[in-house]
This record gives sequence, structure tokens and C-alpha cells, in this order.
Amino acid sequence: MSTDIQPGELAAQRLKLFEDAVALRKPERVPLMPLALQYFHTRVAGVSDKDAGYDAQLNFSCLRDATTRFGWDWVPGMAVPPSRSLEALGSKQIRWPGGDLPDDVQFQWVEGEYLKADEYDALLADPTRFTLHTLWPRLASAFGVLGELPLPPAWWMNTMYMPLAWGALLGQPKMTALFEALAEMSRDAGAFMAAFGRFMGEMAGMGYPVAFVGVTKVPFDIVSDDYRGLRGSTTDLFRQPDKLHALMGMLTPMAIGQGIGAFKGSGNPRVFIPLHRGAAGFLSDEQFATYYWPGLKAVIYALIEAGVTPCPFFEGDYTPRLKYLAELPPGKIAAHFDRMDRAKFKEACGDVLTYWGDVPGSLMVTGTPAEVKDYVKRLIDDFGDTGGLIIDGANSITEEAKPENVMALREAVDEYGVD
Amino acid sequence: MTTPLTDAVLAMDEAGALQIVKDRLDAGEAPEAVLDDAKGAMTILGDRFACEEVFIPELIMGGEIMKGIATELKPRITADASAETRGTVVIGTVHGDIHDIGKDVVCMMLEVSGYEVHDLGIDVPVEKFVAAIDEFRPEVVGLSGLLTLAFDAMKDTIEGIAAAGKRDQVKVMIGGSPVDEQVCIYTAADGWGRDAAAALRLAAEWTASAAG
Repeated sequence: MSTDIQPGELAAQRLKLFEDAVALRKPERVPLMPLALQYFHTRVAGVSDKDAGYDAQLNFSCLRDATTRFGWDWVPGMAVPPSRSLEALGSKQIRWPGGDLPDDVQFQWVEGEYLKADEYDALLADPTRFTLHTLWPRLASAFGVLGELPLPPAWWMNTMYMPLAWGALLGQPKMTALFEALAEMSRDAGAFMAAFGRFMGEMAGMGYPVAFVGVTKVPFDIVSDDYRGLRGSTTDLFRQPDKLHALMGMLTPMAIGQGIGAFKGSGNPRVFIPLHRGAAGFLSDEQFATYYWPGLKAVIYALIEAGVTPCPFFEGDYTPRLKYLAELPPGKIAAHFDRMDRAKFKEACGDVLTYWGDVPGSLMVTGTPAEVKDYVKRLIDDFGDTGGLIIDGANSITEEAKPENVMALREAVDEYGVD
Repeated sequence: MTTPLTDAVLAMDEAGALQIVKDRLDAGEAPEAVLDDAKGAMTILGDRFACEEVFIPELIMGGEIMKGIATELKPRITADASAETRGTVVIGTVHGDIHDIGKDVVCMMLEVSGYEVHDLGIDVPVEKFVAAIDEFRPEVVGLSGLLTLAFDAMKDTIEGIAAAGKRDQVKVMIGGSPVDEQVCIYTAADGWGRDAAAALRLAAEWTASAAG
């Protein structure tokens, strides 16, 4: 691509590489599009993980520099939550560098049984009240007060006694403290959003599209990751399958609405869908078919219907699920894979889904540039002739990937990815 | 050989299994015999998991049923049943990584299969592994990690064990989703795996050869 063309046109050309791959057409060159980064771009610039979380401006400038330096065809998603916001909320679900983790350890998420086994009915009966009163206090200390106060029923807040009702609730000193914490978070999040907006403008001026803005999840993962934990959700399969189904039924339209809303709000049609418990080993084939697949399929179909290009990240090995994935609508989904039997994939889904990812983290961390190039060459040999291939690390570009190996990805697509 | 109790456990029939336990105790049967049956069921479950006939939900649910049975039986078992173990395993998630799900499943799998398991938890410093080798004299050390930062932490840990002069006393297995042969070579571990079944295979291989 020559550099004397307008940025808008350049961005369109870059995006076309992606769109061709999604539509299973052969792009002009095999695209190199990292899905999402945590700290690779900041570490390679010598910035601590702590600073990456506390200084959005610095973080985005590192992301700009990495995007141009390593020759990516777009700006990857940036998946580090703003630390000052976590601090203001007193997040118990996410631990972060500069919080209770050392400055150079990446943020990590703490899975827990945030919804107890006997609380399904309460959540299903009044999800908003349960979330405010019970769930949020468990997730962040600033919300503790919501669990302590006798929250009035919603109707009481709408009556002629409204001033009295609101006053009794909001007049409590602990509520003042909560609002102060939220105001602090709001300012931090506002600064983050402003930095992100400026960054997107800057990158657009340089002719780079942004990978995605919106994120959603599928019902079983929401229950298993965010509500019940692995232990809770898997025992529910046997102890209370009906309640598990009922909760997933409630969450399905919410998950769809989240994805579509993110598209409408940002104008970016690509929505990231991280997938967790659908991988080989977690569930049996029958359990996958009963509990996981229907929700995954419902979310993906509804997003496509609304004009979204779903970007599911199939983390783990999805080879045993290929027969299900083959049912998905062809040429509409940017499917990112971690581990996969390529021959089986090609046979079952080669004319349905993109093949995006796959370059092992172990190779990126411990291998040599020659090995990385060789690996990409083999991917291109396998898929390059038919289109649908997008190059990225199996788990995108992880923090410990060697810079020379990341550079080798670009060298490989330039060398082998053009006819 | 299966009994109604093993059948109930394997069918994930929690209420049924607990009822059988109560009935057998009421009939005057020795609690040790009932416990042996339940443990037998868990061994079968472990074998089925290893050959991918059942998956994590059954393993976790089986563990839950077993917990319930043990709660019922424990107060009645007077003699100190110094059960024979198949070997001792020290396990932990390496420093810098706080993920525990995979490690917990491996622990459960090893425990139900008759190993004495010492779980050091998450974000475990090198010295703690070294101290645990001194204290528990394991045949096997398991290092777990979900993040690629764990590669260096695993390498550090294995080097730390070697520097303390204990590398020859133990076999080290590394495990977690991003682990592969290349990481095994990089960290100088003795074996690697991505799931609990692989951990069990390695432990069985190494403890059998240690015994033999």
C-alpha cells in the first residue's frame, strides 16, 4: 500500500483485507490483525504494567507505536481496565498491578461463586434488585452499602412520597461515600474514554481501523465465569439444571442487546465474544449441545442479523466442536482460534469460518523468528489459497512474546502472503 | 466390580448415593466398607475422565458427592485408617499467576485416584516449593499456570529446586492451557500436560517407576 493516499482510503484498504477474509475471499495479502492486547505494547516500550493501567494516554501512545512498528493492519483491542476506576470501586473481582499486585504483574480476574447455589430464584425474580443489593457488594467494596441498607421496593420510589423515599435512601452518609466513589470513577472513566477517543481519531488520521469496541459473552459463560464459577455452574448441571436454563434464558437477550448496543453506540460493527467453557475438556458433547451451543448460536445469529460481524475467540481446543461450528452461516463470522486440528477444521468449516490466530504463545515466547516465519508459512500453505486466513498469535500477542518474533509475523505475511 | 453405591455415584445421583450410605450404616455395615465403595467409584470416575468418557462437570460433581459421603461417614470411623497412597504430589500455581481452576481440578483428580496431594495454592514463590519438597518428600511436583508469564516462573521454580539440590528427588510436571512440548524444554520440566488426565498419567508413570 502506498503512503500518498488519503488516510480514509488507507483505512478502507486495510479493513478490506479483514472483510475479504471474513467473506472467505482471497485478500490482496494475508492480513496480520492481532485481536486484543494486554501489556505487550506497553512492556515493549519499557512501561510498567502499573503505569499501563494508571495512565491511559501513555498506554494508547504505546499501542499506536506498536501498531506501526510491528506492521499490524489495524489497531488491536486494548484489554486492560483503567486502574484508578478499579481502585475507586474497590474491585474485589479484578486484581491489578499497583493495587494488590506487584507493579509488573498483569491484572488478573478472580473467579468466584458470586451467585450462591440457592440464590437463582431471587436473581430471576428481580434481577435488578438482586444485583444492586446482593451481587455488587460482593464484587466491589464501594457497593458494600447497597447490601447493608434495606433497599425499598422500586414502586415506593415512584409514588407521591418520592422525595421522602429518595431522601431516606440517599441521605445516609454511607450513600454519600458511595456516590463520591462513583464520581471519582466517573472522572477517571471519562478521562479514559476521552483518551481513547483522541487515540481513535489519531489512528484514523494515520489510516488505521480499530479492531473492535464492543464486547459481549454467551449465556453459559456469563453464568459460569461471572455468576457461579466453574464449580457452581458444573454442579448446577446435575443439581438444578432447570434454574440454570432459566437464568441462561434471561441472559440471552441481554447478551444480544449488549453486542448490538455496542455496535450502535460506537459505529464499529465488530464485536468481540470471548468464549471459555465451550472448549474441549470442559463439557461433554451432550452437555455442550444442551447448555453451551444454543446460547452461542442465538447470540451469533442475532448479532449477524443486526449487521454485526461477530468476532468469537475460541479459547482452548475446539476441534471436537467442529460439527456444531459447521452449522454457522458462512462468510459472516471472524472466528479466532487458539488450538485446532487444521485438517479437520478445513474439512468441516473451511467454507464457513475464518481461520484467525493459531500461532502458539509458546513459539512466540520461546521460539526464534525463523521458526515463527516457518509456522506462518505453513498456515498460509494450508489456508492462503482459499482465503479466510488472518494471522495472529493463538491468544493474540501475549506480554512475553519476543519483539523479534512479533516482527517475524509481518515479515512472513509480506513474504508468503502475497501471490 | 460395582455396587448400588458406586452405580449411584457414577450416575451423579447425589440423593440416591447418600440414601444408600444411610441405609447401609443403618443396617449395621462398617463405615470403612462403605467408604471403600465410594472411593472405588471415584477411581472409576477418574479412569473415565482420563479416557474422555466423562468431563469436568462429572469430576467436580463426583467430588461433591464424595464430600457429602465423607461428611456422613467421618464421625463414625474411629480407627485411624492410614490409607495407602499411590504417591505424594506437591502442586501449586507458579508465582505471578493467580489462576486456580485447572490446578484445583488436577488436585481433585489426583486425590480421588489415591494420591496424597499438598496444594500450595496460587502465586507460589520458589522457596515455598523448595520447602514443601523438604517437608512432604513428594515424588512429583506439579507447576500450574494459565498465563504465558508462567513459562518463566516455571523455569525459575525448576531452577530454584535444582539450586537447592533437590532436582533429583522429584519429577516435575508443568500444566496449563498454554503449555506444550516447547515450554517443557524451555523450563526443563520432566513432563507437561494441558489437562488433569495428562497430570494423572504422568503421576502414575513416575510413581510406578519410583516404586518399581
